Amino acid sequence: MSQIMHQQVLCSVLEKILNKALSLNIHGLQVLTPLEQKTLTLELAELAFPISFTINQQAMLVTTLTERSDCQLKTSISTLVELQKEQQLTELIKQGKLDILGDIKVAQQFANVFEQLTIDWQSELAQHIGDIPTYKLSQFSLWLNDKITFASQQIQADASEWLVHEKRLVVTESQISAFNQQVNEVTREVADLEQRLAKLSANVFSISNQENY
Amino acid sequence: MSSSEQPTVSQQDSIDSENTTHFGYQTVEKNEKESKVASVFHSVAQQYDVMNDLMSFGIHRLWKRFTIDASGVRPGNKVLDLAGGTGDLTAKFSKLVGREGKVILADINSSMLNVGRDKLRDKGLVQNIEYVQANAQYLPFEDNTFDIITIAFGLRNVTDKEMALRSMYRVLKPGGRLLVLEFSKPEHDIINKIYDFYSFNILPKMGDLVAKDGESYQYLAESIRMHPDQETLKSMMDDAGFEQTSYKNLTDGVVALHKGYKF
Repeated sequence: MSQIMHQQVLCSVLEKILNKALSLNIHGLQVLTPLEQKTLTLELAELAFPISFTINQQAMLVTTLTERSDCQLKTSISTLVELQKEQQLTELIKQGKLDILGDIKVAQQFANVFEQLTIDWQSELAQHIGDIPTYKLSQFSLWLNDKITFASQQIQADASEWLVHEKRLVVTESQISAFNQQVNEVTREVADLEQRLAKLSANVFSISNQENY
Repeated sequence: MSSSEQPTVSQQDSIDSENTTHFGYQTVEKNEKESKVASVFHSVAQQYDVMNDLMSFGIHRLWKRFTIDASGVRPGNKVLDLAGGTGDLTAKFSKLVGREGKVILADINSSMLNVGRDKLRDKGLVQNIEYVQANAQYLPFEDNTFDIITIAFGLRNVTDKEMALRSMYRVLKPGGRLLVLEFSKPEHDIINKIYDFYSFNILPKMGDLVAKDGESYQYLAESIRMHPDQETLKSMMDDAGFEQTSYKNLTDGVVALHKGYKF
């Protein structure tokens, strides 16, 4: 399949998923109203083509058109995640990880839409499989989640125990801070030594000057 | 004429004399083709979308999406979706041009136009769409009217393609562009052979089974083979006055998107 077709498949799938998710939002589609006829374009480093999101009549269109964009973000997928923290914007721009063209408010409004997106999975599922199976399934998923969290915490603790204490492949936090302290001490001593050397060389320089005269 | 007896391009040229043209592999009087094509589309109109999805395995939706992206449409643009049929392109354009823009869905066939109008109205798309029954050769619009004209899978059914292209050129605004999405010639022989087998052996049977009309789908396969290839269509657009004409092959050239500007 050519690159053109890949682009269109991606846009088509994204459009379907986003609109489905928006239609299931418990806050309704009103969240889209302030963005009517607005377009956000993303130029991601990982993709060779831009992706534009346009809101029209409470639905989202996904295209590769850039002609009508209100805000263009040039960034990477990893930076997109960091963008959720508004205070990091300036820092990301300074670091050259983010380039913004156009109205930043549009990008923030789009981000708000996704932040406010809440889907009541249980009631959606209940429509398809019934109330009791949904209840049982949600109880099972909670139980499974607890088990997985507990297991992952255990694995993490056991692994660090094994790496730090048994195999001694990784150092502990206290060892790192002790090492840091030692490094700082050496740095201070080196600085003192430098100062003394500078004084001594200045003295030697003045004595040799006096002898010449 | 069977699939193994397809006319060559030079044969096609001789077929298209002053008073005759081709209807699939048949040679017919020019004034006869219009009514024959009309009867094909009256017959398939109700099942057109289902058949498109079946025949192309849904890929026609991607070809059309690419056409929209290549159009560079902006809010406020005036778009003519010529031979627009059941309105797939119109639906998307209508959302992209916004309230200030306008999309005109034009088709010579009243049945296709009715199906398209019902479908778009059911989707709630009413604000900025107009419907016009029009022949591509004699477009009933003033000169320099449209920013964009698209004709998707329609040009091969037009009796006089050169005349239609000239007519489109006339109604385009300076700076406007024409996009022709149409079946074309696959780039590789192996694809060509598979495509031939599929078109002449499977497609008419599918048409018979789903739309109860195998003959119309036999015409579809034949008309695709009689349509000018990529380079020929490009030079036809050049002759009609279009500038910076280019084309992009899609799905190995099974379909091509031609684009030309009026300056």
